[in-house]
Amino acid sequence: MPGKIRKTPLMEAGRDYLALGLEGSANKFGAGIMKHPKDGAATVLSNIRHTYITPPGEGFQPRDTALHHREWALKIINDCLAKAGVSMHEIDCICFTKGPGMGAPLQSVALIARTLSLLFNKPLVGVNHCVGHIEMGREITGAQNPVVLYVSGGNTQVIAYSRQCYRIFGETLDIAVGNCLDRFARIINLSNDPSPGYNIEQEAKKGKRLVSLPYATKGMDVSLSGILSAVEAYTLDKRLHEEGAEDKDLITPQDLCFSLQETVFAMLVEITERAMAHIGSKEVLIVGGVGSNERLQQMMGIMAHERQGQVFATDERFCIDNGIMIAQAGLLSYRMGYETPLAKSTCTQRFRTDEVHVAWRN
Amino acid sequence: MWYTWIILDKRTLKIPFASEKHALIAKQTIEVDPELQPHAVKRIITVEENVLIAAFSTLTIRLARLVANAFLENVDLVVRTLEQFGEEAENPPSS
Repeated sequence: MPGKIRKTPLMEAGRDYLALGLEGSANKFGAGIMKHPKDGAATVLSNIRHTYITPPGEGFQPRDTALHHREWALKIINDCLAKAGVSMHEIDCICFTKGPGMGAPLQSVALIARTLSLLFNKPLVGVNHCVGHIEMGREITGAQNPVVLYVSGGNTQVIAYSRQCYRIFGETLDIAVGNCLDRFARIINLSNDPSPGYNIEQEAKKGKRLVSLPYATKGMDVSLSGILSAVEAYTLDKRLHEEGAEDKDLITPQDLCFSLQETVFAMLVEITERAMAHIGSKEVLIVGGVGSNERLQQMMGIMAHERQGQVFATDERFCIDNGIMIAQAGLLSYRMGYETPLAKSTCTQRFRTDEVHVAWRN
Repeated sequence: MWYTWIILDKRTLKIPFASEKHALIAKQTIEVDPELQPHAVKRIITVEENVLIAAFSTLTIRLARLVANAFLENVDLVVRTLEQFGEEAENPPSS
């Protein structure tokens, strides 16, 4: 992997390290096993996930999501260990999502993590969900010091690293971009399988008209709830029809998907570009579920290309919430001597990215 | 007026707390999370041999029902985890 020559506080591994990562902050439960060999690059031994998919028009509620995780977790952890070919005894630490996210699902995963920790006498490592995304993106793409655009159903942040802290340069003032897209998908009754965002992306490809929507960047930040209201208002518009015609004044749901994506993605590209200009960076790393949207990657690529830079993105295995990213970030913390004592292994719905001390980078 | 309810978990026979160790694991795992309404719910969790005992006092009967439900759901999750991984934990590989 490139960039291993630079000095980092993280010492050479010295021996093989194995970490189990458990993630369940939203509607996906993921388990992953990460290996840091004594010499060589980090390896993903297994990464298994199951998504709680609700019927079209419905979002996922905390209680039902927690029930889903409780139902699926043990089977997925077992499959994960089997696929990696390791036993729990060989694992060095059990990493779990401490936050941010939904309370009941997070707590369900934490209970399992604590039980395993006590049963096998392994240390616990609580991980920040956002830092997990960033660390996995860095590991997979090899990006040196990118501006990170973290976009998902629950978070929308522009992050840059400085002095052992992932600093938030810009973020959403109200709802996350994935939340905006998902809620619109519910309004127009799109399927939630495999995810509402994916289906919006497919519908948007069939859109032809760009309808006028508010463009709401506020300095380094964005505001999305107004755009959601505006696009929702279009669904009540008399001009809305299932199939439009070129010459008539009709709007289709596909046109709305297209317009929504173009507007919000342009806003995200703008605030990312501001951060890049501010710190003089030439790399953009897109992480989080919305990062798997190819149109966003394309638009970001155009902007980066104009600045002689490049965009790094991962595929849906690592973009969408997963357990391996928790294992990766957790193992990096663990190797720097960080552990979460049992009494402090609670979960929290609010956990800022910049609250984490990034000890493993200099 | 406080409604006091002691749950003597007679279903330990059906819940495989096979050992005091497992019962202690359940206690330590569940007691980490504070009650969502500490001013309205008092909770004491103890272990006697291999039996997990939980005592709750709540300000309303509705709360007593909610708190007991949540506690039993958590016990169920811990029990299933112990069931799944308990045997493997007892048999470390000889290496």
